Amino acid sequence: MSAPAVELKAVTKSFGRTEIIRGVDLSIPRGERHAIIGPNGAGKTTLFNLISGRFPVSSGTIAVNGRSTAGLAPQEINRLGLSRSFQITSIFPRMTVFENIRCGLLWSQGYRYSFWHLLGGQKKLNDAADALLERLKLGDRRNLPAGLLSYAEQRALEIGITIAGGAEIILLDEPTAGMSNSETDAAVELIRSVSEGKTLLMVEHDMSVVFGLADRITVLVYGEVIASDVPAAIRGNAAVQEAYLGTVAA
Amino acid sequence: MSLVRRHWVWLLALVVLLAFPFLFFDWSKGRHSGFVLTLMSEIGVMAIFALSYNMLMGQAGLLSFGHAVLLGLGAYCAAHVVNLVKAGTIWLPTELVPLAGGLGGMFFGFVLGWLVTRQRATAFAMITMGLGELVSAAALMFMGFFGGEGGISIDRVMDTSLFGVAYTSPWQVYCLVLAWAFIAAMLMRLQTQTPLGRIANATRDNFERAQFVGYDPRIVRLLQFTLSGFFAGIAGGLYVLIYEIVTFDTVSAAKSANALLAVYIGGAGGFFGPILGTIVVVLLQSGVSLLSNAWLLYVGVLFIVMVMYAPGGLIGLIFMHVPIWRIGRLRELLLPYARAFPPALMVMLGFVLLVELLSFTTIGAAQGKKFAIGGNVIDTTAPLPWLIALAALVLGALWIRREARGFRERWDALIEDAKRQGVVS
Repeated sequence: MSAPAVELKAVTKSFGRTEIIRGVDLSIPRGERHAIIGPNGAGKTTLFNLISGRFPVSSGTIAVNGRSTAGLAPQEINRLGLSRSFQITSIFPRMTVFENIRCGLLWSQGYRYSFWHLLGGQKKLNDAADALLERLKLGDRRNLPAGLLSYAEQRALEIGITIAGGAEIILLDEPTAGMSNSETDAAVELIRSVSEGKTLLMVEHDMSVVFGLADRITVLVYGEVIASDVPAAIRGNAAVQEAYLGTVAA
Repeated sequence: MSLVRRHWVWLLALVVLLAFPFLFFDWSKGRHSGFVLTLMSEIGVMAIFALSYNMLMGQAGLLSFGHAVLLGLGAYCAAHVVNLVKAGTIWLPTELVPLAGGLGGMFFGFVLGWLVTRQRATAFAMITMGLGELVSAAALMFMGFFGGEGGISIDRVMDTSLFGVAYTSPWQVYCLVLAWAFIAAMLMRLQTQTPLGRIANATRDNFERAQFVGYDPRIVRLLQFTLSGFFAGIAGGLYVLIYEIVTFDTVSAAKSANALLAVYIGGAGGFFGPILGTIVVVLLQSGVSLLSNAWLLYVGVLFIVMVMYAPGGLIGLIFMHVPIWRIGRLRELLLPYARAFPPALMVMLGFVLLVELLSFTTIGAAQGKKFAIGGNVIDTTAPLPWLIALAALVLGALWIRREARGFRERWDALIEDAKRQGVVS
């Protein structure tokens, strides 16, 4: 059995004297679609920031594909095969939609910091970017500055940049937040298709999205995991009902 | 042939720039105007410099206050190389002296970039400013390399030309500047289309996102800074060939400010913006400075006006018209522009008159100069010129406000139409 895609052991994170993450153990096997839910302020996004290397952990260890990420910069963790999106849309607003996607592809296609390749002539790269744009249904927005896209389109682009590099582990932070119902349905379909055969870890508030997509769900409350199980078991879990789902259902 | 079709703008520019000095050719003596050629050479050098500055500011979002350091150090390197060639120690064609400057600029770009690119945004700006002061101070301390206040002099006539050109006349130097300006501009243009160039844009837009697609923004900044140093160094090498001397003011804050002014006035958004800005700044600096003591004030006012009202610079103003041009209705702006022109001219003349009256009552008087327009000496102590200036300024301003309303309506209607036709997003 290979190492889990993402493994957290006794991870804590404090900002000043406030402890946000209070000893989280979590193991996500390869190929699993995993959702993290919990009330506001539970530390879900912080957990993402720790896994992706945006912040260092206060204590504990995180391993990606069996390799410890201690001391690694975000780009180094990305090169291990982990890619993330952001809760607040994070794209390259002044570049075109096409350029955004292509930037997501560059490193994985081995261009690194090259200043001797002209991008116009890189057919394979450009075709890959265009193919992904079609998949995102952004083909007709190709040459628009990304900052001018609608909110839902920007969210789709965000997912596109995240998966462009072909990462095996995808972290999505509230991918459907702020979307209408139909936009959400489209986003769920997109997420389902792009995470095919990959490990997906996502934070989400929309329960229909969570229960529709996730193989397993982890419930985070005040920086601690109170349950981590298959959707059916989470639905029946009394502690979860009380801490979280109950308040939503009420 | 397709090469010509694709690059006709460059070719046209080359032809125009080669032909332009002949407008000032003195046919009776069979001589070029040295002033015009030096002015145009200066524009060429400063255009390379401004474009290299825009590699940092426009492309990577790095505001540097010490870019002249790279120009100056490149120039010093080139000057030493020329002197070595002259002494017979090494051999290098005159045509490749700018390359020596470029390599020098690149070396210092890497070394100094190693220090400054650890930071971005405000911290970066502050460090580059400190670095500029540091190198300026060093230029007066290390006599061997910088030659102190006197700088390093060269003789550009080296007899090592690949084409047998002596470089004794400003025309020959101008042609060399033009060739290098085109090479450098094209290379910089191509650099924007490389992975590094695009990722530099990405780190400018959102440096954190760039990290999460696998790039280290620090390395992007360092490489961009190093390459920018290469081109600034080329400008430095040409500078030495034009003036045959390099002094510590090539590394000074004032020189750095020149690049900043050119890029802001021309516009950082389009590739050619800095070239437009350079033309304006150099003309003000070298042309208007001969006519007026207050030329620096005009540069300053222009800079403020551009930053306040046209943050996209001259190129931004031009690009604003593209949607209207695309729907084929640019003609409809002719009349509104024509109507706005007289009051605009009035405001400008009023302002210039006022500034000149002021400058002649202070600096001019101290220099014993007289204020004359077309041979008529104007008494700066009489009230009439002052009244005319004020009246032109105030009335022109009121008039332009009236015209502006009509202009805006026309403009908005046209843009609205362009939007409806899907030309603008």
